[in-house]
Amino acid sequence: MSSASRRRVLAMAKRNVLAQRRNPGHWFLLLVLPVVDGLLFGSIGVAFGEGEAPVRLLVTGIMLFHLIWQLTLAGSLGILEEVWSRNLMNLIATPLTEREFLGSLGLVGLARTVVSVTMIAVVGFGFYAVAPDSAGWVLVPSAAILLLFGWAISLFVVALTLQYGDSAEVFSWGILVLLMPLSGFFYPVESLPDVLQPIAAVIPLTKVFDAVQVGLETGTVAWGSIAWAALGTLALLGLVVWFLDRQLGRFRRLGWVTRFT
Amino acid sequence: MTVGILSHRRRDAHEIPPAGVAAGESGGAEAGSIGETAGVHATTRPPVLRADGLHKSFGSTRAVDGLSLEIQPGERVGIVGPNGAGKTTTLLMLLGAIEPDGGTIDLVGERLPAGRSRAMEQVGFAAGYLPLPDRLTVMETLDVFGTLYGLEAPREAAGVVLEELGIAHLAGQTVESLSSGQATLVGFAKAVIHHPRLVVLDEPTASLDPDVAMRVRDRLEWMNAEHHATLLLTSHDMREVERLTTRVVFLRAGRIIADGPAADVVADAGYPDLEAMFLAEAARLRGEAV
Repeated sequence: MSSASRRRVLAMAKRNVLAQRRNPGHWFLLLVLPVVDGLLFGSIGVAFGEGEAPVRLLVTGIMLFHLIWQLTLAGSLGILEEVWSRNLMNLIATPLTEREFLGSLGLVGLARTVVSVTMIAVVGFGFYAVAPDSAGWVLVPSAAILLLFGWAISLFVVALTLQYGDSAEVFSWGILVLLMPLSGFFYPVESLPDVLQPIAAVIPLTKVFDAVQVGLETGTVAWGSIAWAALGTLALLGLVVWFLDRQLGRFRRLGWVTRFT
Repeated sequence: MTVGILSHRRRDAHEIPPAGVAAGESGGAEAGSIGETAGVHATTRPPVLRADGLHKSFGSTRAVDGLSLEIQPGERVGIVGPNGAGKTTTLLMLLGAIEPDGGTIDLVGERLPAGRSRAMEQVGFAAGYLPLPDRLTVMETLDVFGTLYGLEAPREAAGVVLEELGIAHLAGQTVESLSSGQATLVGFAKAVIHHPRLVVLDEPTASLDPDVAMRVRDRLEWMNAEHHATLLLTSHDMREVERLTTRVVFLRAGRIIADGPAADVVADAGYPDLEAMFLAEAARLRGEAV
């Protein structure tokens, strides 16, 4: 990456952060929601579980889920901010490239995940005595896969936004709301209705949470589950990149930019 | 009476020096910058913009139909025509925002789309209808855009351009708090902060009061004279086009029907001024006899 390119990525990340700084909604999603989630799932674990295992599973689960959640929010809110401001044409008429724009969204997303996960870790440790690294080394590959998965969802929402504008906003959280119950974050997928279990089985996230559960119970890394999750996530990312590329082509060919001016 | 296809009477750029610059003088800096000696005939310099055989259709609607256009350094060109003539589609294609179905575009020496990013370092764009990003102050906005354009010290450049436009007092205000006239001026500052070789303006003074519109026009003329910036604009204000441009490109149904200095274009078409010609063309489109 050239220095000019790097400066443009940082400039857009700065623009994003400056815009978010003055938007109370962003602060709520970044600081309050993780605390609420930490308290909610921690307390459910204490109330309905026996021993420490349930609370550890739930707090670790929500902490990991926020890796996807915040990255997806950063991507979707990043482009939606430009749509709401009708700023896309201003940006297109600069040297900024699509990759640089997406890079800036990713950068902001990573920063958001650090803040959000830290908040949940503090709540989990402070109120429920759950150490953030309870699951052991499996957290490292799991976090990497979840970030990639979140990035794929982010790019998918960006691709939809190019076509549908702010109507695509619902997908920024809707996809995650769909995935949450299906991917066994907080319970074994066997708890799902029979008809949904095959769907859950092909979602890469399910394998990640299988592995995390094994980590919490035994302290070992279930490499088989991690490998399947990694392959599935990479396949999904490839598919989404293809879709985004196609959408960008249609954006230029069909003159979609006029929808945003 | 209808407007017919007019003969192309565009003068070469060297015949149209920027305001306040003697003929031949305007090419000096440009020629020097590309390694030519001063005094070299202006038309030997590479054009700022060369579009060749542009076509664009949206479904069954043909928006641009075989448009070719060459703009020399220092020219001030106005693209005019009634709604639906293809002005905006043409501008957006020239900026790389819309991909043509056919034809080629070379912008400040870079072939689009591959060279778009490099080209845009030397191009500024502002539209009267386009707001600036929310939740940023004027200075933050110019800082971000200045960095995107590749400036090393964007805040200093922002201070200078705000001062020149007489709006330095707005630096700390958020964009949402600006009046529409102030926002247009800031949008204009954003477009010229990096002293671009080509300034593209879509309806630059729409919604501005006469005083602010005059400041924008003065600034454009100053940039053209002092920095040899090439101007390409669209406007529905024909008086503005006549004042600001040295060349008018009149579009009808995505084709150029007249190209040359405004006075020559209207004289050839038999109208007293550009506004009368514009109204006649608009009426022709509505199917009314004029």
